[in-house]
Amino acid sequence: MKKILAILMALLLCLSLFGCEQGKEEKQEEAQDGKQEAEVTDEEVTNEGESLTLENIKVGFVHISDPSDMGYTYNHDLGTQKMMETLGLSKDQIINQFNVKEGASCETAIRECAEQGCNLIFITSFGFEDYAIKVAKDYPEIEFCHATGYKAKSSGLPNMHNYFGKIYEARYLSGIAAGLATTSNKLGYVAAMPYAECISGFDAFFLGAKSVNPDVEMVVMYTMSWNDPTKEAQVTQALINQGCDVIGQHCDSTAPATTAEANGVLHVGYNSDMTEAAPNASITSAVWDWSRYLIFAINSYLEGKEIPVDWSEGLAEGVCDITPLSKNAAPGTAEKIEEAKQAIINGELEVFAGPLKDNEGNIVVEEGDVYVDEQSAPAFDKVLEGITVFD
Amino acid sequence: MALINFINAAILAGTPLLLATLGEILTEKSGQLNLGVEGMMYMGAIASLAAAWYSEQYLAPGAIAAVIATVFAFLAGALGALIYAFLTITLRANQNVTGLTLSIFGTGFAKFFGEILSKKAGGYITCAEPTKAAFAKLDLGGLSELPVLGKLIFSYNFLVYLAFSAALLLALFFRKTRVGLKLRAVGEDPAAADASAIAVIRYKYLATVIGGGLCGLGGMYMSMVNQKGIWVPECVSGYGWLAVALVIFATWSPLRAIYCAIIFGALTILSLYLQIPGLDLQLYGMLPYLVTIFVLIFTSIKQKREFMMPKSCGVNYFREER
Repeated sequence: MKKILAILMALLLCLSLFGCEQGKEEKQEEAQDGKQEAEVTDEEVTNEGESLTLENIKVGFVHISDPSDMGYTYNHDLGTQKMMETLGLSKDQIINQFNVKEGASCETAIRECAEQGCNLIFITSFGFEDYAIKVAKDYPEIEFCHATGYKAKSSGLPNMHNYFGKIYEARYLSGIAAGLATTSNKLGYVAAMPYAECISGFDAFFLGAKSVNPDVEMVVMYTMSWNDPTKEAQVTQALINQGCDVIGQHCDSTAPATTAEANGVLHVGYNSDMTEAAPNASITSAVWDWSRYLIFAINSYLEGKEIPVDWSEGLAEGVCDITPLSKNAAPGTAEKIEEAKQAIINGELEVFAGPLKDNEGNIVVEEGDVYVDEQSAPAFDKVLEGITVFD
Repeated sequence: MALINFINAAILAGTPLLLATLGEILTEKSGQLNLGVEGMMYMGAIASLAAAWYSEQYLAPGAIAAVIATVFAFLAGALGALIYAFLTITLRANQNVTGLTLSIFGTGFAKFFGEILSKKAGGYITCAEPTKAAFAKLDLGGLSELPVLGKLIFSYNFLVYLAFSAALLLALFFRKTRVGLKLRAVGEDPAAADASAIAVIRYKYLATVIGGGLCGLGGMYMSMVNQKGIWVPECVSGYGWLAVALVIFATWSPLRAIYCAIIFGALTILSLYLQIPGLDLQLYGMLPYLVTIFVLIFTSIKQKREFMMPKSCGVNYFREER
């Protein structure tokens, strides 16, 4: 009895499968009848490589977080959207991998992008670089662009590229706002990691503040994480307890802004306009416009030009800037910032111009000299005079 | 002054830990080892923010929104614990695995709804000023202005006082009430408790669910107090795991949990107030866990019953198995 039942069931299954298949075919036929154009574009895609255009190129992104962080990834994703708008790419030409951890799992994420047919893959977090190089070796026909990294040149791979921008120029401008706003002449700075990227950032911020307020000092504390909101709030509180009355930040969340607001002090942000999060504290933020690089890289790729192995632009090209000043800015801030901005754009003002001393009294940039990064990733890692670091 | 600031910050950092630890102590006293504290905290964090945000729109910002947020934080934590309770008590699934799964589930739950709300709010999900004020320092008039005591004792948000009174109440409950005694009996030996006509299943369910609610309140602290009523996806950032370690550090006593939570809070912010030459920043992060390991070693050498984990904790009870 059981056997017969089993056979019957199996037959039923086969029949139903067959039925489904038939239904599908019918539908497909209908679709084909209706739209012959669709078929044509399908064929184009299968002719790989030769006829890559804006219509069929595929672009992948590997992000450490997702846009709801309202920070680094949010900023990068804004760039993606602007790029899509400008170039007219559709949503299914973009593959976003969000919330990828900096570890072995990011290699899988990058490989997935490659396997899904991406022609260019943008890899946006510092810790992804070694894995990106590993995958780039296996896919020589795909271009890999890594933000904030520095190993593309030494890797020797023609399809591996680094990109970043002179964000320190924007930080210098936001530092001017902080320097004018402080009354205790003590700035606080919440930094993520003791790396050159953060150090050059707070140095530039401090130099901006000092350019308008020679008496200013700064205290820096590290959270030892790119994104640990609780720690960021605690660090901000500790800085305020020390008497800092303007807080700058190089970390991902809004915690420094909201903590500053709760304590009645001011704040200068990074990556997104934080006036909505802290209307009574936020003055301005240093932000990126990544779309410029994305458009440049995609166009270069389509035109068959080589993407530079190391790319960096700054204020002059509009890659970075600061958000509009809020009501919390001190009077006269806008003029001072505009002046400095023009000077930087004209090349009259260099952020890391000598003489600069580190906080142990050693001269790190001689008078008349200017420190220039050799590659796109910032490498200036001297803590300047006037800055106290808690570590 | 610096010392007072430090103690003040330590108490603020310790409070969410205390709430979650009390919840976990209550849960473990009934013999259920719920490792999903992180998840339940996340659920409480997003539920309280969502509740505050919606009640601001439909009712009024301020104290009402704060009360509704508190209720929903508790309910969300309790909901997480209820899932866990159903799986482990009724279906007798492995407690460790279920707890770990709850951690992952709760984190995803919060991030999912956080994302949806962010889209609805079109950017940041922020609470209005009066609601933020309800979660800020309480204004206790002259008391807050006292020279040293003002900052040390009378300058906190309502959740700090709530957490400390909850700890005292829980201690009284375990030591002085009959129900508390029965609950402890369930955690030590459910079969014996069952034989003496204690409703083991009901006790386990209630303790787990209320414990989850307390964890939810701890989560609310992370989003409403630490982040000042803004949704930040990483807001709980491992505090749930710290709370699990703190249960061991406090050796399952709500009273000891009070000062242990302050010590843990102090250890997490130590590097910001005290620079020890030669000690790297990374090492500071290890301190709470190092202390927990020492306590574990110490208590296992001493073998004092009072410091031990409830005997049946982590083991599912099945009446027919006796």
